[in-house]
Amino acid sequence: MSDSPSLPAQIDALRAEIDAATLTTPEEAEAFRVRFLGRKAGAITALFGQIGTVPPEARRETGQALNALRQSAEARLQDAERALAQTASAEATDLDLTLPGRVPAPTEPGSLHPLTQTLEAIQDIFAQFGFTVARGPEIEDDWHNFTALNFPANHPARDMQDTFFLEEPPPAGRGVVLRTHTSPVQVRVMEEAVKSGGGPPIRVIAPGRVFRNEAVSFKSYFMFHQVEGLVIDEGVSFADLKAVLFAFARAFFGGEPKMRFRPSFFPFTEPSAEVDVWWEDANLPGGGRWLEILGCGMVDPNVLSAVGIDPERYTGYAFGMGVERMAQIRYDVDDIRLYYENDLRFLSQF
Amino acid sequence: MNLSLNWLREYVPVDLAPDALADLLTMAGLEVDGVEATGPSLDGVVVGHVLSAEPHPNADRLRVCRVDLGPELNADGEPVQIVCGAPNVAAGQRVPVATVGTVLMLPPKNGKPVPAEAGSDRQPVTIKKGKIRGEVSRGMICAEDELGLGDGHDGILVLETDAAPGTPLDQVIETPGDVVYDIAITPNRPDATSHIGVARDVAALTETRLTLPDVETPPAGGEAADRISVEIADEEGCPRYVGMVITGVTVGPSPAWLAERLEAIGVRPINNVVDVTNYVLHEMGQPLHAFDLALVAGETIRVRASEPGETVTTLDDQERTLPEGTLLICDAEKPVAIAGVMGGANSEVSESTTDILLESAYFDPARIRSASKALNLQTDASYRFERGVDPTAQTRAAARAAALIAELAGGTVVPGMVDAHPVRHEPTVVTLRPERARQLIGAEIEDDEMVALLTAIRFEVTDAEADTLDAFAEGALASGHIEDATEAADHAGLRVVVPPFRPDVEREVDVIEEVARLWGYDHVPTPRTAPVALVPAKDQPADRTLAAARRQLAALGFRELFTNSLVPKETAATYAGADWTGSEAEPVETLNPISQEIAAMRPSLLHGLVGAAAYNQKRGADAIRFFETGRVYRRSADAGRPVEGYAEHTALGIAVSGTLQPQTWDAPAREADIYDLKGVVMAVLREAGVQRVSETPRREPTDLTAYAIELHVGKHRLAVLARVSDAVMQAADLTAPLYAAEIHWEAAARVAKTGLPRYQRISRFPTVERDLALVVDAAQPVGPLAETIRQRGGKLLRGVRLFDLYEGERMEAGKKSAAFALTFGADRTLRDKDVDKAVAGIVKALEREHGAVLRS
Repeated sequence: MSDSPSLPAQIDALRAEIDAATLTTPEEAEAFRVRFLGRKAGAITALFGQIGTVPPEARRETGQALNALRQSAEARLQDAERALAQTASAEATDLDLTLPGRVPAPTEPGSLHPLTQTLEAIQDIFAQFGFTVARGPEIEDDWHNFTALNFPANHPARDMQDTFFLEEPPPAGRGVVLRTHTSPVQVRVMEEAVKSGGGPPIRVIAPGRVFRNEAVSFKSYFMFHQVEGLVIDEGVSFADLKAVLFAFARAFFGGEPKMRFRPSFFPFTEPSAEVDVWWEDANLPGGGRWLEILGCGMVDPNVLSAVGIDPERYTGYAFGMGVERMAQIRYDVDDIRLYYENDLRFLSQF
Repeated sequence: MNLSLNWLREYVPVDLAPDALADLLTMAGLEVDGVEATGPSLDGVVVGHVLSAEPHPNADRLRVCRVDLGPELNADGEPVQIVCGAPNVAAGQRVPVATVGTVLMLPPKNGKPVPAEAGSDRQPVTIKKGKIRGEVSRGMICAEDELGLGDGHDGILVLETDAAPGTPLDQVIETPGDVVYDIAITPNRPDATSHIGVARDVAALTETRLTLPDVETPPAGGEAADRISVEIADEEGCPRYVGMVITGVTVGPSPAWLAERLEAIGVRPINNVVDVTNYVLHEMGQPLHAFDLALVAGETIRVRASEPGETVTTLDDQERTLPEGTLLICDAEKPVAIAGVMGGANSEVSESTTDILLESAYFDPARIRSASKALNLQTDASYRFERGVDPTAQTRAAARAAALIAELAGGTVVPGMVDAHPVRHEPTVVTLRPERARQLIGAEIEDDEMVALLTAIRFEVTDAEADTLDAFAEGALASGHIEDATEAADHAGLRVVVPPFRPDVEREVDVIEEVARLWGYDHVPTPRTAPVALVPAKDQPADRTLAAARRQLAALGFRELFTNSLVPKETAATYAGADWTGSEAEPVETLNPISQEIAAMRPSLLHGLVGAAAYNQKRGADAIRFFETGRVYRRSADAGRPVEGYAEHTALGIAVSGTLQPQTWDAPAREADIYDLKGVVMAVLREAGVQRVSETPRREPTDLTAYAIELHVGKHRLAVLARVSDAVMQAADLTAPLYAAEIHWEAAARVAKTGLPRYQRISRFPTVERDLALVVDAAQPVGPLAETIRQRGGKLLRGVRLFDLYEGERMEAGKKSAAFALTFGADRTLRDKDVDKAVAGIVKALEREHGAVLRS
């Protein structure tokens, strides 16, 4: 070894060689890797082996120089591989797309989106209470989104929702819309039950995406998710509704949250209510505030009549809650836009 | 709607604290969104006890006082020294002291104008510790005006109290402030859009008396009817129009009490006439309009629908083109107002007005709503008319306003009134069955209690039974059907006459809601059990397998995304291509997006995957493993869609990119490639029960893909997986190639194996492995080789695995080697010759079909 040039000289020589190397084909890239970075015969790898020959006082410096050399070689290789992959379309003819795939091992945990996790938590609780899941289309017609739900044409209730229209509202058109709530699924479920001859009892929840033609801000977005609930049977009362929702809130928030059930208005329920949960926050005057979590009520007799269910014989209740809202409370997320930005630094927290 | 507590108190005594009233209203369905206290803030102002007041050594007009502020505020236990300029300060007084740090809104000093703040010339001043002419002063003894409590500035305010020094001042004196509530009025409560309307609920809920203003309503006709007449051409649009005339008024500013009432609720005072109309609107909920009678041509007011192209210049000086059929108020020559929305500039009350025509009408809610919407003009009047005002309140409101105008602006109310009333209000009568109410609410509310609750909000309730018994008697006698009549009697309930200010109450269920609301939702019980219908749910395999696929992907290190369903039109067009979606999709577009960014529906999930990858690459992420589930949309002519003309289906998108395996101690770094994606997609499909998937490679670049593989089962296209094209990469600024797939989940679920597995006996005999190294043309795809092996392997072949692929120096040019591990098994001991025979068949077929030879 005494004949060989000094280690620093060899490092310089290799650096020059690395800089001069051409890496325009996969073969060249592979040769480069073997030549410099190969675990057995790589030139840089070999120099690391010689570090013992350097006087102790110079080892630290030499080690750093070697590390820097290895990093520069790796960076060149990585850049080259990226560039080569970029031009892969030109080389598609060389690719054998019939080769079997492989399942890459996970290097870190994956995750379900916080909205999925929240939705599943909601679904699981209602599954325990005997609710099954129903779904409906996101593109809806006027009948299911509005008319059957007792929204009269030209009623201020329609102002409560900023609707995306795909076709002009009646009478000019069919009034096809992006559904503004999951309530049209109620109508579809009841129609289906009547058509199939079964009729009530009905006990479903309907989760899904809904749309409002609104400007984006930290608290509003043009799409979000809801979970609708519907129960129709003989003898169903407002008290049953309150009991189910309070039981749900206890399960979802844990413990015995302070809740209130207060009068509200929805065209498709009568009486109608909203449920608030007391959110403790020592920073607020009064030690907290009421958070509205859902709207609900007894299914309006007009809705039952619209789908051919006898409102004298059957009564029922419906409720709807916002998944983003529930997730916000669950995870303390203060900006709804985060849910759709898909930043890994956000997603990886759930 | 804004509600002033002081104003409310004119009609109902309220003993509740402001927050308690907010709760009461909220729990009665009048949700309070905000509570704002107005008036001076006395924070930091306390009662001080003047112990001594000595002349200032350096100033004749000043006094140096020692003031006891109580143990907490005194300086080191000693009374504080305050320099005071008021002549009336004296030892022994209790005085208001603004302590150090207090912010006071001080009026301008005499003779020294200060720059005015918006709406007030008072300036915030922070009280500091300082020296005045050489004497320390720690605080300020205040005059009435300095605290915003009045105009007094003759000297300090001497308190008539023996409260302990240090007591906050607002506990000692009444502050003149108000509390303003912002109430969210739901569409079913038009009655609550006024102070009296809210007072009615408050009185009912607190069991106190509602006091209404005294109004003398003149009879219809009289001199007023001689002065002016009303012709209603559109009776449907205007069932009632009341007019009154006030002459000889002097238009000028309103008195302070009126201006303050309006300002408290955010209404700008204009002049005494207009302010009265606004006052009565917010008091009683009846919108009014005042015309300058001199500017009204002729003596007849005509109410008619507008003709095409008519225009009106409204009070805000905007010329507005009216949609045909808009209700108009016209004089002999011209329109003078858009009914129920806004008056016209041509007849506006001004400084020079002396005679007033006051309009108080009932307009059809739907007509006003259409007009307001079409004109994009919502006013306090239209807000109320479109919800439905009390159809009987017009005369009373007109009389109230006329009297107030005469009082505040001088002038004389011309006796009588015009009352054009082509369509009379018929009260709604509803039968309430108390038993039905108890069942629906699920609470034991006594009949008497229901009657009391409804009566408190002015519903008239009588026993319907009297009528029914008469009917019973008559019916039974007449028909002989005693059973029917008995049933009728059993169903009899309470006869409820709905007051005219509750147009929303039309049916029994509406009355039941009122009962529940007033009885209190908080009192509705919560039963511990609920009956559950024993109807098993239908299996929904697509839902079930999709949930499983999400978990599988998360376990493989994939992150779930939620991306936008709405995209720009160009994006929708770009990502609708058949190279990705299987058949060119015609995107769905929205008619009225508020932004072009959300003008169309996504035809595929690809755009979201690309966007999220680019977003994260820009922020330093070099390993991407993403998936998303969601609906994609297109126009469709297929029959049987839930909404004809549109198709939507649930898709699963998967993407990988970048350094899928970072370098570790035992393995080099590895970049993602198409095989990673393929492996994952196949694993997900397998898990979902999809079998016999056929692959169609596509090497030619397309708009969206550099190369791709399409997956089918039979003729059903299930998925595409691809490296996205250079064009997509560049457009999105992707820094590493993106491999993306989209599975039509509903199609996959349809072809997936359903049902449960059937157990098969586990073989007791060992399997035999054989390796097969083949030499083929370098261009020969390997997949078909494996396929041939599988097909020719016969019953004995249990598995095929490609374990080596080589092309290079040790091979003849233009050739490559592919090595497979074959596993054979049977429910018996396999002899070598059985396996040899199977292998020989395979090799022969490989040679024939693919020109493969065994590697020597």
